[in-house]
Amino acid sequence: MTQLILYNLFNGLIIGAFYALMALGLSLILNLSGVINFAHGGFLAIGGYLAYTLMPHIGFWGALALAPVLTAALGLMVERILIRRLYGRDPLYSLLLTFGLAFMFEDGTRYLWGPATVPFAIPDWLSTPLSSDFFFLTGYRMFMVVLAFVAVLALFLLLNRTRLGIRIRAGTLDLETVSVLGVNVRILRNLNFGLGIYLAGLAGVLAAGMLGLQPTIGSALIMPSFVAIIIGGLGSLPGTLMGGLLIGAASGVVTVFFPSASEAVIYVMMGLVLLVRPRGLLGEEGRF
Amino acid sequence: MANGVFSRNIGRRTVIKGAVAAGVVQFASPFIHTARAADIVKIGLNDPLTGTYAELGKNEQIGCELAVEQINAKGGILGRKVELLVEDSTSADTGTAVQKGRKLIERDNVDFLLGNVNSAMAIALGQVSNELKRLHIVTGGHTDSVTGSDCHWNVFRVCNTTRMETNSVAKTLFTKYGKRWYFITPDYAFGHTLQQGFEASLKAFGGTEVGADLSPLGATDYSSYLIKAQAANPDVIIFLHAGQDMINALKQAVQFGLDKRFHIAGAQQELEVLNALSPNARIGTWVFEWYWKQPNVPHVAEFVAEIKKRTGGKVPTARHWFGYASTWTCALIANQEKSLDAVKLAKALEGFKLPPEVALMPNEPFYRAGDHQLMPSLYVGHAVESGSEPEDLFHVDEVVKGTDVALPVSETGCHMVAPS
Repeated sequence: MTQLILYNLFNGLIIGAFYALMALGLSLILNLSGVINFAHGGFLAIGGYLAYTLMPHIGFWGALALAPVLTAALGLMVERILIRRLYGRDPLYSLLLTFGLAFMFEDGTRYLWGPATVPFAIPDWLSTPLSSDFFFLTGYRMFMVVLAFVAVLALFLLLNRTRLGIRIRAGTLDLETVSVLGVNVRILRNLNFGLGIYLAGLAGVLAAGMLGLQPTIGSALIMPSFVAIIIGGLGSLPGTLMGGLLIGAASGVVTVFFPSASEAVIYVMMGLVLLVRPRGLLGEEGRF
Repeated sequence: MANGVFSRNIGRRTVIKGAVAAGVVQFASPFIHTARAADIVKIGLNDPLTGTYAELGKNEQIGCELAVEQINAKGGILGRKVELLVEDSTSADTGTAVQKGRKLIERDNVDFLLGNVNSAMAIALGQVSNELKRLHIVTGGHTDSVTGSDCHWNVFRVCNTTRMETNSVAKTLFTKYGKRWYFITPDYAFGHTLQQGFEASLKAFGGTEVGADLSPLGATDYSSYLIKAQAANPDVIIFLHAGQDMINALKQAVQFGLDKRFHIAGAQQELEVLNALSPNARIGTWVFEWYWKQPNVPHVAEFVAEIKKRTGGKVPTARHWFGYASTWTCALIANQEKSLDAVKLAKALEGFKLPPEVALMPNEPFYRAGDHQLMPSLYVGHAVESGSEPEDLFHVDEVVKGTDVALPVSETGCHMVAPS
């Protein structure tokens, strides 16, 4: 029994790392631009499908490298053409816009690639378990965790060590002052949006290797990401990371005792956090 | 620059409201155009075109469309042209399905109602069609009670009951693969009744149920369930999912290497699912309700060719056949009785045999009188990595007669109440 709980706890952390990857992209965009990006799941699906299309030509690794970049390019365009116009307005406007985009992306992928789930094969050596006792540690899942950690590490380095990152963080705290100091806020927001969408694209390619790739893959994964942000606390990237790991682990452990509640538990956690500590675990007081 | 550019009065409440709205996205659906005319016989199809079951619903629709085209080419129903009206029921929101079912009958005034893929929706729509006295053929919702405790005088069903599916494969699993079974079951009517069916068989054979877990409908991650299942060390792990859930579960089971240590099996399996899996994940023992490769059965090849024209070369699945057979049933019975009166047609359908060009399977399928369940053939076999053709992904080991695996009418719980 203890072994079963430990297995599921560890396994839950693996899944949690994946949720966190997706939630971090959402969180980045939310923090700097105040846009709740509902289309994040749509971008995720597009990332997966682009990889699926590219794979026969440049292989899995090429697709993994290129598809998120292309997704980010699409993100930059969407920000430039549509989302930018709504920054000054009530957040409801951008919310409605991205809400509509989510539908368009889902039906767009359905139109381009069809409603049927497509097989997305990963390299054989990645899809086998590393040991027969810890069979849930497949090469692919370990790779996902490593990649998620590398991405998170790179993101934190970028935010703390580079000029762009420092400006993004400063903008998150006080965009007006940053602008007065001569930083081009439009470009800053544009790049930041692209960075968030890059993470969505990356999560999309990884998800396609683990789940069936179909147009609704994004909408199935976006809810846990929102929950991760709310639990972790709005405005805090470490909080988002923690939120993701926490819901993954909780969902895994609950499966041992009460399997049909494995999904409901994350919403219960969200409810509890909102009741006891509304700003979330690491959210700043009063900011939101 | 205007000060407003920086106003970021977005709050936690907005984010939470937004998150609620994000959940709603999954249930919203596109509006589908419908037409009306007095001298036309209308058949209404209420099926999921978005969400988890979108592909299954769409395939049923293609089958219906082919049937309608053929019926019109042969003179229509009672000499009148036939038109198919389609409504998207969504995959999970029964309220929407019911509302659209009412719309089809009350506003569009359809003469026949077809649908639904989702069992819960099939039951709910059965109540609607019964209240509004329309002949209703359930295309692809499998839970037992549709032709059991929830049966109605006006409701018939083409696809099998879950009990027929489990009965047809249970014996093979028990004798060939072992007597200790573990169930992973989707948490809704379809999964529950499949599990009950297998449990009844297992008890009769004297086997052991070493564990059973319910997974939420639409779950993406099955790893925690698989960890639990392997810890119980069963002979057979039984997956009772459908559609995307089945794809996700099997994909993860194979990545974990569980197929090398346990026998993987289940009841209903569909070509849509096997097509979506990479070759190494096409594993397990299953039941197909119809299969496109039946060299000795008349008219199957023509049907396959016709469907391929409409799908860009993809072969028909059981879903295409469900839509096709349901639509043809309406036309055949109305033309035989020279009437559109639901009461009269329902009476005539009791015991009605599908002709070979619609049946497309051995053993003369017919609608059983007591519970209105079609008694077709079932195809027990195993998934194969690749067959003689790209879409030949299932090997039929045995064709089972529906009458041999269905519960007798007296045990279905169906008490048919005559129309008032």
